[in-house]
Amino acid sequence: MSTVPAPTSPTSPPAPSAAPRGVRTRAARAGVRRGLTEFDRSLHTAGDIGYYVVGAVAFAAVLWANRNGVQEDFGVATGVFLLPGVLAMIVVFTAAYGLATGVATEREDGTLLRAKSMPNGMTGYVVGWITRVTCEVGFVAALMMLAATAFTDGVWRSPSVLPLVLLLLVLGLVASVPLGFVVGSVFKNPRSVGGWGSLVMFALIAVSGLFAPAAALPGYLQVVGQVFPMYWLGHGLRSVLLPESAGAAELGGEFVLGAAVGVLALWALLGLLLAPVLLRRMARRESGSAVSARRDKALQRV
Amino acid sequence: MRFRGALEERVIQVEGLEMTYGTTRVLQGVDLHVGRGEVVVLLGPNGAGKSTTIEILEGFRMRSGGRVDVLGSDPAQAGEAWRARIGVVLQSWRDHSRWKVRSLLEQFGAYYAPYSVPGQPRPYPADELLERVGLTSHAHERVGSLSGGQRRRLDVAIGLVGRPELLFLDEPTAGFDPAARREFHEMVHDLSDVEDVSILLTTHDLSEAEKLADRILILDGGRIVADGSADELARRVAGVTEVLWRQDGQRHVHSAEADGTEFVRSLLATHPDVTELEVRRQTLEDTYLAMVARASDAAPLDPAAELAADPAAHHADSEALR
Repeated sequence: MSTVPAPTSPTSPPAPSAAPRGVRTRAARAGVRRGLTEFDRSLHTAGDIGYYVVGAVAFAAVLWANRNGVQEDFGVATGVFLLPGVLAMIVVFTAAYGLATGVATEREDGTLLRAKSMPNGMTGYVVGWITRVTCEVGFVAALMMLAATAFTDGVWRSPSVLPLVLLLLVLGLVASVPLGFVVGSVFKNPRSVGGWGSLVMFALIAVSGLFAPAAALPGYLQVVGQVFPMYWLGHGLRSVLLPESAGAAELGGEFVLGAAVGVLALWALLGLLLAPVLLRRMARRESGSAVSARRDKALQRV
Repeated sequence: MRFRGALEERVIQVEGLEMTYGTTRVLQGVDLHVGRGEVVVLLGPNGAGKSTTIEILEGFRMRSGGRVDVLGSDPAQAGEAWRARIGVVLQSWRDHSRWKVRSLLEQFGAYYAPYSVPGQPRPYPADELLERVGLTSHAHERVGSLSGGQRRRLDVAIGLVGRPELLFLDEPTAGFDPAARREFHEMVHDLSDVEDVSILLTTHDLSEAEKLADRILILDGGRIVADGSADELARRVAGVTEVLWRQDGQRHVHSAEADGTEFVRSLLATHPDVTELEVRRQTLEDTYLAMVARASDAAPLDPAAELAADPAAHHADSEALR
């Protein structure tokens, strides 16, 4: 610890009374850098890379095994038929479940409190998470699309497939992020997110008809499924990636891309309004002793 | 001992601070103040309310009652501009273990940049800060790979990155080796003397408190039971000087009044066979233990009056020890 000449004057400057201009914007930019660094660090962490690679390799293996398979009912290759569900799963798991676990973990290790101790740190924290899950979803979805392109025919049916898939992924992401923040702030620690949270997630996926048609579910579960964004994300992706005739298997008997986009946008809007409130509430309860109490509890359990 | 800040601008002013959890009164009317550029050390046994007090001052915890003013604002309502002027080093952090040291400092520094004002450029440049806490050679290492002491120094660096006017340090040197501890003490002196940073810190290391503090506050049972420099506190507890010697193969100890010189002079004059003479001024530890013991024994309604009245000497005169 060597001494550096102190550049400050002994008299203290007047305190800035109001927030300087553009403070929020600059905090948001710092948040984007934060998210990019988190993603970069994730790519340097063996466990995380394993998670990405295992998922992509598993999907590639399924595609390769079914490379000649055709879904007779809809007249599409099996790989294409699986793709919408896989993409929707990635979004939900990363942006809702992964985020919830991450936030719960970071409450416990003090990251959230650290954000709270910085001016506009919570803005940066939230933007950081959104940036990070966007990168992760983009990365994993790109891996899956590459695998699908390599082993299956008929993924790129028309020039509008890519922009529409991107639009739906972004909307699905923004609609799922608030769910992640809610779950992450409701449960007190990452272990209960892992337990109860994953139970909730699997239940949601089951009623959303991502892999088995929702039409096979009891009526009231169909209603529940249609309330949440996952159903509409899956529906939207199917309408883009599958031929129009496949719409017959949908709940309404046809694809309604407009409705899917509308519901997702509504969820996204709701989330953008709700997430800051929830996080403020969650952050208000954070203090050094709250963090150390949680740590002590976690250590006792081990 | 310096007494700067006593008459100057106060960066912290607390009156009648109350904190109640359910039916437990954790803080029972705490009064304290910190002047600009002052280093104030908050001592007290575990559970005395130190952390609660600091968390209220940091704006992390709502109080039950009393008046609190930190840098001209009430921490419970202060905004982000206020937050930019204080630095916080909590007891233990485990966050951001994947990040690299330097990029973490840069990330946090960015939040302070909009609050830069002439004479108080923010943030503190990352490289200078790393140099200052002795982590330059670890700039590109993962935070998670740092040793306990290095991690702590990084926490201090993060607390300083916004070039705070007021710094809260909660047991900052826990896990430091003696060299790192001394360097840290020099840094605290620099911050306070040269840069006029006001510092409120807690510690369990009483020699550290003695070295760093302009003023020491002892918090016990939810009240401030003592407020003064280490010397002032020592003078308020009787039996300030201990004189030890050996005579006829026996160890003797005597607790003298504030100054032991007179006792030693007469001892040597009347007992020429005294050997192994040792004169020990009362340490802060003795003072602290005496004050805390007394406060918990009596649970005084008026701590100041209680302190003045109680003689509480450790030893009777010329008590023989083994």
